Amino acid sequence: MKPTRLRAALTGAALAPVLVWTLFPIYWITTASFKTELALYAKPPQWLFTPILDNYTRVLTNIPFFQYLKNSLVIAIGTTLGSLVLGTLAGYGFARFHFRASEAVRFLVLVTRMAPRMVLVVPYYLMMQRLGLLDTYTGLLVAYVSFALPFSIWLLIGFFVDVPLDVEEAAMIDGCSRLGVLIRIVIPIAAPGLVVAAIFAFLVSWNEFLFALILSGVEAKTLPVVIAGLNTDAGPLYGEMSAAAVMVMLPNIVMTLALQRYLVKGLTLGAVKG
Amino acid sequence: MRISRSFRYLAVAVLVVLAVASGADVPASAQGKTITLSMLAGYKEDVLRANLPEFEKKTGIKVVVDAAPFGDLYKKQLLSLSMGGRYDVLFMDEPWIPPLSEFLLPLNERMKTLDTADFIPTTVASGAFQGTQYAVPVDPNVQLLVYRKDLFEQKGLKPPATWDELLADAKALHDPAKQQYGIAITASSDIQTALYMLLAMWSYGAELVDGGKGSLNSAAGKKGGEVFLELLKYTPPNVKSYNFADVNKAIQLGQAAMAIQWASGAKPMEDKTRSSVAGKLGYAQVPKAVRQTPMRGVWTIGIAKNSANQDAAWQFATWLSGREFGQAAVTFPSATSAIHSPRFSVLKDPGTKAALPYADTLLVSLQITKERPRLREYADIQENLRVTAGKLTAGELTLEAALKEIDAGTNRILGK
Amino acid sequence: MAAGRAGRWFLLPGLVFLFAIDLIPLAYSGWISFYNWWLIRPRDIRFVGLANYTRFADDPEFTRAVVVTTLFTAGAVLVEFLAGLGLALLFAQPFKFLRPIRVLLLLPLFVVPVVGATMWRVIFHPELGVLNYYLGVIGLGPLPWLSDPRLALVSITLVDAWRTIPFMFLVIYAGLEVLPAELFEAAAVDGATAWQSFRHITVPLLTYIMLLAVLIRGMDAFREFDIIFVLTGGGPGTATQTIQILNYRAFGLGHMGEANAIGIVTLIIVAAMCFVLMRAVLRPQVARG
Repeated sequence: MKPTRLRAALTGAALAPVLVWTLFPIYWITTASFKTELALYAKPPQWLFTPILDNYTRVLTNIPFFQYLKNSLVIAIGTTLGSLVLGTLAGYGFARFHFRASEAVRFLVLVTRMAPRMVLVVPYYLMMQRLGLLDTYTGLLVAYVSFALPFSIWLLIGFFVDVPLDVEEAAMIDGCSRLGVLIRIVIPIAAPGLVVAAIFAFLVSWNEFLFALILSGVEAKTLPVVIAGLNTDAGPLYGEMSAAAVMVMLPNIVMTLALQRYLVKGLTLGAVKG
Repeated sequence: MRISRSFRYLAVAVLVVLAVASGADVPASAQGKTITLSMLAGYKEDVLRANLPEFEKKTGIKVVVDAAPFGDLYKKQLLSLSMGGRYDVLFMDEPWIPPLSEFLLPLNERMKTLDTADFIPTTVASGAFQGTQYAVPVDPNVQLLVYRKDLFEQKGLKPPATWDELLADAKALHDPAKQQYGIAITASSDIQTALYMLLAMWSYGAELVDGGKGSLNSAAGKKGGEVFLELLKYTPPNVKSYNFADVNKAIQLGQAAMAIQWASGAKPMEDKTRSSVAGKLGYAQVPKAVRQTPMRGVWTIGIAKNSANQDAAWQFATWLSGREFGQAAVTFPSATSAIHSPRFSVLKDPGTKAALPYADTLLVSLQITKERPRLREYADIQENLRVTAGKLTAGELTLEAALKEIDAGTNRILGK
Repeated sequence: MAAGRAGRWFLLPGLVFLFAIDLIPLAYSGWISFYNWWLIRPRDIRFVGLANYTRFADDPEFTRAVVVTTLFTAGAVLVEFLAGLGLALLFAQPFKFLRPIRVLLLLPLFVVPVVGATMWRVIFHPELGVLNYYLGVIGLGPLPWLSDPRLALVSITLVDAWRTIPFMFLVIYAGLEVLPAELFEAAAVDGATAWQSFRHITVPLLTYIMLLAVLIRGMDAFREFDIIFVLTGGGPGTATQTIQILNYRAFGLGHMGEANAIGIVTLIIVAAMCFVLMRAVLRPQVARG
């Protein structure tokens, strides 16, 4: 379909309210981080104001923020890698190799996501305690990969199945191994799927609270627990929470910007037929 | 392929980061003089951390602080204690002590080494259960009446002493057209709602549990409930969604002329960056009817029974409940909240009176507090109370039905 | 394709991991649900069979929670799916100005749920919130976003949608991007309209992805907790009290048997829903590949 200026204008018009709705709370949180509480609740609402940095300084000095940032980052990257590796392998396995119990096993993979996470608290606590993994990176990593893996597998199955078989077969005839085909051919074609799986796994880990609370406390404490701590018994500290939230958003934005060029069409390596 | 090469580099880089970082996997090794504390995150944690170096220098004991948010601290402590966890000392809210007593070290003998005469007696009682002392008081809290001195002066009113006077004053100061409301309390399914209702019922002589049975459904309970519901007529219009913080906001932003609030919530009301009425507030005891029953809530410090460092833990508990920390905590320069000391000496200190405008009222109220039932099952009973109070204010139940349901729930829980 | 022996090696690592780390713990928590384990009484644990389950059968609060949860899930998934699909289609167009906006649309996903919900509480505040302020200015009056039982349900759905539409958009958009351009070009050459292209090319090829998105979202919405808890705490009254809030309560009081029973019941309900949905949509599509 030829893109016309009219369509561009209509698209823009449709997007504008969506963007406003999506971005307004983000804007509100960001400005809240630079305001006093009094200013936050001012009537009429203040759109222009003199920003203060107190919230940021308080968050950064009262708590070892960068320590927790490092914890969160390490665990999130580990989760992403773990789920990508295991998920890609398993996804390809399901996509290309069918056996009688294929469907049932696939469903079983998803079943773990059907129970509320809370039911896993006691088993995980006991498991990590026995293995000596309480309050360690490894413990949380293992837990988070298990949370992210089912969806990653299912998602990647969908993307791998869409890769044309002929391309794979051609490569194998040329002497490529299955694994080689997966890495050199299938993954680049299905790149958008991997990007989504990566972002998803990263977010599962980055935003997760309950298990970070239960399975860690000092050494492996992550940012969501810290932020929840700003919801004090004397009420939420809006300014500090917003400042912390803004800082916590930034690595996600960086990651997405880095990954987003793989989210586009056109990574096919030239069609099968010329 | 260009793509797989850059992915390879990225993967290697990340693996290196992970390998280096996992070196930090090893938790702090216990050297006999390290204790682990389960602490409340937020303001109290900040005050503690600020003063901890002094303790560590004086005693050589290192304290590892594991702080959890308010809504989750009990869960975390319960899970850890019940499954053989690793806490030595625990910072606990008093209602948790009966259920956790199973796992706590009795402190009766050790308490004798403290100058308990300096403690307000009700605060010491908060750490006891069935005759055994399980925890030492650190930070007592009590419900107070907060009111706008300026508005009261304008209308020539005196701060109310009884619930009837409270209702009258609230009505007189209630002017929705000008967005001025009589009083701010909560009417949501938040726990505060249940506690307000309980306060009112207590004042008229009712008891939540009496003789091992639910006894709120009585004439006194009914009267208290009616007064509570009547009070809701003079509140801001959407109190059905209010929680602890919203009550503060109502005062801070000049919407409400009065509020019943925990003393720890009062400090932010005097903070100029959060409150437009700083300096205009007065503090009084909660109103009375048949009796005066300000509700008590004390944060305490206890020792785990299976702690391997009981002596060091006791040293810490002594310090945390001591005069030095108490004075430092009370005068800590932050307007987010406040730590109150359970000691007469600290509360009567002029430095304290300068830091806490409500210090006098706090001292008086703390000596006549009423405690919530000291039962292992209290958390369950309070949950039932909370949900039912929420249904009452939402209109899902009548007062009679609500009282019946509360007692039925209490009996069911205790009969288990 | 027949089951090659190589297939085993691809599948084993992930499956073994999930089996050990997910299914076994899940089975354990199922096992716990047959006991009356109260954490504060570790020596008083007894086998009670199905007692934890039968108490729900005559508990009106539980039934109401099931209704509330189902309403919320259905509403949320519907809104989020349609919006996500619409946005994905909009963004699939080859306009240059769309590229930088993509990341902006994803921002709500990057906000820690607790903070997002807290900020929405500030925005929703009946007297002091910015939303009611402007509604008042244009004459639609202040609305009791969180204190009216029915409106509260709408409010939590709104916030959940705000948070999750980016996710639906992302998944469907990625699916769209992988569709081979040649198909659409060929259709255009044959004179197909945009709608026909959509109906006959996009929808069939995208069915799996869309179904997956709906399933995952459905499962997550059914188990949603943080946002609802922060916004309304289950209130006013029991208007927004979902099964997860009941679960949280039991869990917070240390009643492990009960809490796990609620969890297993949730599992069964969700599994049934998914099974039905998958059969209905995927059966017509024989496994491809």
